[in-house]
Amino acid sequence: MLPLTLQHVTKVYGNTTAVDNINIEVGRGEIYALLGANGAGKTTTMRMVLGLINPDSGHIQYEGKDYSQDILKILGYLPEERGLYPKVRVSDQILYLAQLKGMKKKDADHKLKVWLEKFSVPEYYNKKVEELSKGNQQKIQFIAAIIHNPRILVLDEAFSGLDPVNVELLKETVKQLRDEGASIVFSTHRMEHVEELCRNVCILHKSRTVLTGNLKEIKSSLPKERIMLNTSEEVSGLSDIDGIDKVTRHESGYELHMTNPEAAGHVLRKAMEQSAVQRFEVMEPTLNEIFIKAVGGDLNE
Amino acid sequence: MNNLSAVLGFTIRNKFRSKAFIITTIILALLVSVGVNVPYLITLFKSDKAINIGMLEDGTNVGEQLKLYYDAAEKKEVNLLVYPNEDSVEASELMLKEQIADGEIEGYLMATEEISFGFPIIMYKSEDTMDYGTMNKLQNGLQQVKMGMVVQELKLSKEQLDTLSAPVQIDKVQISATGGAGSIGDGKSEEQIAVATGMVYVLIIMLFMGVMISGQLIATEITAEKSSRVMEILITSVSPLTQMFGKIIGMFIVALSQITLLVAAIAINLMLPHNRDAISELNINLSDIDPMLLVYAIFFYLTGYFLYATMFAAVGSLVSRTEDLGQAILPITMLTMVGYFIAIYGIQDPNSMLVQITSFIPFFSPFIMFLRLGTTDPAVWEVVLSFAILLVSILGIGWLASRIYRAGVLMYGKRPSFKELMRAMRAYRA
Repeated sequence: MLPLTLQHVTKVYGNTTAVDNINIEVGRGEIYALLGANGAGKTTTMRMVLGLINPDSGHIQYEGKDYSQDILKILGYLPEERGLYPKVRVSDQILYLAQLKGMKKKDADHKLKVWLEKFSVPEYYNKKVEELSKGNQQKIQFIAAIIHNPRILVLDEAFSGLDPVNVELLKETVKQLRDEGASIVFSTHRMEHVEELCRNVCILHKSRTVLTGNLKEIKSSLPKERIMLNTSEEVSGLSDIDGIDKVTRHESGYELHMTNPEAAGHVLRKAMEQSAVQRFEVMEPTLNEIFIKAVGGDLNE
Repeated sequence: MNNLSAVLGFTIRNKFRSKAFIITTIILALLVSVGVNVPYLITLFKSDKAINIGMLEDGTNVGEQLKLYYDAAEKKEVNLLVYPNEDSVEASELMLKEQIADGEIEGYLMATEEISFGFPIIMYKSEDTMDYGTMNKLQNGLQQVKMGMVVQELKLSKEQLDTLSAPVQIDKVQISATGGAGSIGDGKSEEQIAVATGMVYVLIIMLFMGVMISGQLIATEITAEKSSRVMEILITSVSPLTQMFGKIIGMFIVALSQITLLVAAIAINLMLPHNRDAISELNINLSDIDPMLLVYAIFFYLTGYFLYATMFAAVGSLVSRTEDLGQAILPITMLTMVGYFIAIYGIQDPNSMLVQITSFIPFFSPFIMFLRLGTTDPAVWEVVLSFAILLVSILGIGWLASRIYRAGVLMYGKRPSFKELMRAMRAYRA
């Protein structure tokens, strides 16, 4: 039984379709990336998963069951816009939220201390939220989302606004939760995080799914269009090769874009004629490229 | 159930810890303490010193008679100073004005040439505008002087004079003609009526304040949760219904403990010996208060609170920013104000049609049926019907409010129009 499935889920607001026929399946111990430009429907999808709004059609199932108040206890949510009581002490509000999720106060207190220790901010236990910096508030928000060990975790823009050290810290935590079996729906604009964390992705564009599936499979199924070439001497005439439409000079070599995969051989031959080759690689497309192609290409139409 | 107690606990704890709440409670306690001490303070400042009034000597012996009358009084209220006449009326008045300016007298009396029923029309001149206390004393004195003069002419005996001047006595007793549910019982004396009316007055003000203050607090808290976006986390943790009623009940407990504290402050102040004397001097006997009236007060506070609290909660859920809240709750505030003013007006005229009708309208009945119970004698069926309408309305409005709340808490941006709200409410049927 999959922890989370969305089948043909559609949400319409008035005349605009916010989410059009989306299908998602998230397995145990998996991080699923929900990608898309601003306003593509990511947050609406997540809110439907959380039961904040009802889909107009389609089904959302949690461990094979429909949404109910009981499901709330296994859900964890980190909203895009942070929300905590500014004037309430960290311990008070986290324990309150944990109790609402069905935890005993004592257990919640213990876990809160463990997490604060892990994020190396144990001194925040008795501080008011408004006294903390934004990044630190986010850590507290993160703890609020995961303190009850949710089996389904929704992270909307989890790492935005954090410094690299804290991004690493939270990323490790997310990985740890994944390894413990949580099913995580994850949205971000940082493609490198997705490449690092996610098995499956779904790219939304203007409320429609434009690309979905296993990230590795998507990459290998797409034509390889980029060549990295490092040589000791300069190489001339690369742009004259048939099927090469763009040559960019970098400090240590060339980046070429080809429209025809056969051009790769010609490039290597031409380079070897003129110089010693230090690096020649036909690159898989990066998620960044895939995303821009799926979303940005459409924008130019 | 567990969640409800968690919401309750959190609401109560945060309120009791908030500095603003503690400070307001202390200020309110101080205010009511001062209020209770007002009768005592008045006796403290009330000067027993007689007022100095000037009077010109004229042909008549009104001045001397008047002086005799005042001087004979057990407690001298007016000290009449008789001044000799100057050459002209103008000169006399000038002299008297100087006396006023020097603070020797407050004002002066002058007999005019005009005669009405055998007694000159008297003019009182002073810098003050109408001071009814002084006017009464002067009127009484002059009346006695006039009477004395007439009596002398008629040559009446002392007994005859006493019989003539003794006032007619009316003892007022309020009774219940129908044996209704009011607080009249077997009839009430004037003092009891006064105490009951005063009590109704005080309780209506407390009812109004209690409903308004806690209602606004509920709305503010909900809007604050919305604007700080905690709401999204809450909604994914606990059902909106539990959330809303947890908040309402929690705030009720907070308000109740605040009121208990204030009542305790009043009680302690009333117990103080100096206040006991001051109050009994005012002819107020606190044991005249009908305990049923207090029971009704508690009941109407409860129902009024829940009726308005659900409305405030619903409105609070629709507003995204605390700045916009004041405007949004204005209609509800107006509604309570209307009820309050009808009640205050109704104290003077509790049998008027307006009061009778509004005592059945749920938004007003907590104030107005209470007023009728305290001051008149509504029939039992009227009270039962009013309660029934009120309870049904609470259920209806509570249900509607929870639907609005469910839809409202997730609507951000500008305040939703009625149409948008209806659409959103349909969307959250599940």
